[in-house]
Amino acid sequence: MPRKLQLSGITRRDAIKTATSAGIAAAVSPFVHVNSARAAKTLRILQWSHFVPGYDKWFNNTYTKEWGKKNDTEVIIDNINLSLIESRAAAEVAAQKGHDLVMFLAPPAVFEDQVVPMNDVYAECEKKHGKPIDLAIKSTYNPKTKRFFAFSDSFVPDPVNYRTDLWGEIGMKPDTWEDIRVGGKKIKDKTGIPVGIGLSAELDTAMAMRAIMYSFGAGEQDAEGNLTINSPQTLEALKFVKALFQETMTPEVLAWDPSSNNRQMIAGRSSLVLNAISVTRTGENNKMNIHEKIAIAKAAKGPVRRMGLEHVMDCYVIWKFSDNIDGAKKFLVDYIDGFKEAFLASEFYNFPCFWGTVPDLKQLVSNDPKAVPPDKYAVLSDVLDWATNVGYPGYSTAAIADTFQTWIVNTMFAQTATGAETPEDALKQADTKMKAIWAKWKDRGMI
Amino acid sequence: MMRAPGPSALRPVPRGLFSRIADNETLLWPALLAPAILYIVLLVGLPFLLSLYYSVSDVTVASRAVNFVGLENFRRIVESATFWTALRNSVIFTIVSQFFVVVFANILAVALSADFRGKWLVRLLILLPWVAPISLGAIGWLWIYDSIYSIINWTARAVGILGPNDWPIWLGQPVLAMASIIIVQIWRIVPLATVIILAGLSSIPNDINDAAAMDGAGFWRRTFQITFPLVMPITLVAVLFGVIFTFTDMIVVFVLTRGGPYDQTQVLATWAFFTGIQGGDLAGGAAVSLFLFPVLVAVAILFLNVARRTEVT
Repeated sequence: MPRKLQLSGITRRDAIKTATSAGIAAAVSPFVHVNSARAAKTLRILQWSHFVPGYDKWFNNTYTKEWGKKNDTEVIIDNINLSLIESRAAAEVAAQKGHDLVMFLAPPAVFEDQVVPMNDVYAECEKKHGKPIDLAIKSTYNPKTKRFFAFSDSFVPDPVNYRTDLWGEIGMKPDTWEDIRVGGKKIKDKTGIPVGIGLSAELDTAMAMRAIMYSFGAGEQDAEGNLTINSPQTLEALKFVKALFQETMTPEVLAWDPSSNNRQMIAGRSSLVLNAISVTRTGENNKMNIHEKIAIAKAAKGPVRRMGLEHVMDCYVIWKFSDNIDGAKKFLVDYIDGFKEAFLASEFYNFPCFWGTVPDLKQLVSNDPKAVPPDKYAVLSDVLDWATNVGYPGYSTAAIADTFQTWIVNTMFAQTATGAETPEDALKQADTKMKAIWAKWKDRGMI
Repeated sequence: MMRAPGPSALRPVPRGLFSRIADNETLLWPALLAPAILYIVLLVGLPFLLSLYYSVSDVTVASRAVNFVGLENFRRIVESATFWTALRNSVIFTIVSQFFVVVFANILAVALSADFRGKWLVRLLILLPWVAPISLGAIGWLWIYDSIYSIINWTARAVGILGPNDWPIWLGQPVLAMASIIIVQIWRIVPLATVIILAGLSSIPNDINDAAAMDGAGFWRRTFQITFPLVMPITLVAVLFGVIFTFTDMIVVFVLTRGGPYDQTQVLATWAFFTGIQGGDLAGGAAVSLFLFPVLVAVAILFLNVARRTEVT
């Protein structure tokens, strides 16, 4: 007769049966897939949770539902935190299973071997809407393999956001980097309110530091992709950021995440940040009066040129192991056809990579009903003149992506700004790391 | 008085596979061990072998072809200043946090071994940091340390500890950032260590303490000359768990500082993640993570040896 466990009253046999059944169920359940009876095909999309909630509402609940009905496809959207995209993509590649479309927020050149070339998608969109912008091409094309490893539908401008009241009081406007240093210091000395440009291991810092580098004539590489970080121009940019940090900022920028500058500006504790228009949109949508005091300006001018970055570069990839490659390509082409809706749903956050899809963009951004004043966003209409890609003046290659994602440039600037390293030593350290990265990707035939 | 067996007891017991295993001692123990062994082989053994393989290759997150490159990845890693910073930080993070874990866990375990009203509630509260998902806990701490809304700073200012112009940036200044991640790690590991040490305390026979009390030994003498020596082996096991969990942990650092400011809280686990997954260099990431392995093996052997020697039989 089976022995009984003293307290529970169940037999050992029962316990083993239950445990075994539970174990098998737990092990097998992830592999059980129930196909939808409603649509013939499925299209799975992985993308970030947009900074403008209204965009996700439109994309998830309206646009994709309607597209799905027209194409007899069930569209499933998974929205995840922006910092998890790379790790999720790596997991899908390892499993050779996952979504049909994956959207990265920075050029994903390192995934080139696993993705379907997008040359035909670009060609079809070009036929309908004209050439894509240079920013899209530089961010998604590998000149070595002659392949588009991703498709960019849109990008997000990265203008200067500044407090008109504070800058008005000192009689200045932040047009150049030197203005920002001088004016930022005056405001901080007078009011205690600092400039808020990140110096941390995060996206916004990565963009801001590159904007300074490029406007000072420095860069990670030249147009041919050769490593050029170790230059007198980079040294000048480092010395400038050191002065900027010490004269206008506080150590809080060393701890920031991508939304910290939004919070600082909205809390009224910053005179200037570099960010997308999510700062002012948050204020407008949440009826916080501070948004009326925040103005938008073009990327600041440096000693060599006026050059900013894209704040976010939407880059869709289709895995080679996707179950619905054709459907994913069609989705992208159709999405570009109706891109104006996306532009409006994102409240001017997502700018088109096919400029012809929003022919009245200039008029729209010059008269926004939510903005105070209504032409607040008009400055964005010539964004293509002052926004460039990561890796300027070259392409966003695997070496550029690796450097970007391991925050080497961010660390170099933070080390210098805080005085932890001299500008020369910080540059030398970054140069050593980047030489190793360039050698590594060259060995692998990616650059 | 004996009762007649009921109708259910007279029914023949079905002799299926489960029944045969359940009733057969020689089959039962391997059957019960099998899931654990399978788990270790699949989720620990295979990934470990795979990372060994990757570390001497040029594999990326996207490549299927794997070419042998010898020790090239290790050579590149040791040439990087970030690696040495991460190694130093990992050691500091682990040693300092585990020192405080041992102190706090012993105090808590001694306190919780006494009888008092509401003990179950106190035990539950102490266990919460361990049972709650660490990512959620870390996000909570992120807000506590926030550069703008830090509740610590706000409270300190409200009670007059901080002046109107003082506002420590917990995650932005190197020493404070390291202290912050250590505090969170202590908060996270103390419950586990407390439970382990508590189990050790409850296994000490009452006779020993009673005899010591009869001989006139006070609380401190009993604690330092009886209790601590007797729980030393199990305390070392708690420390071993703590060291391994801390040395291999990336969540606390990833959520709170992402290695910043300028790599001053970068640890090997986060650097391996940034290199291997974010940067796409899977081989490099595997090589960084393998630096952990010999250290952990040495620590495990040392602790288990010391635990065996200090065991009181």
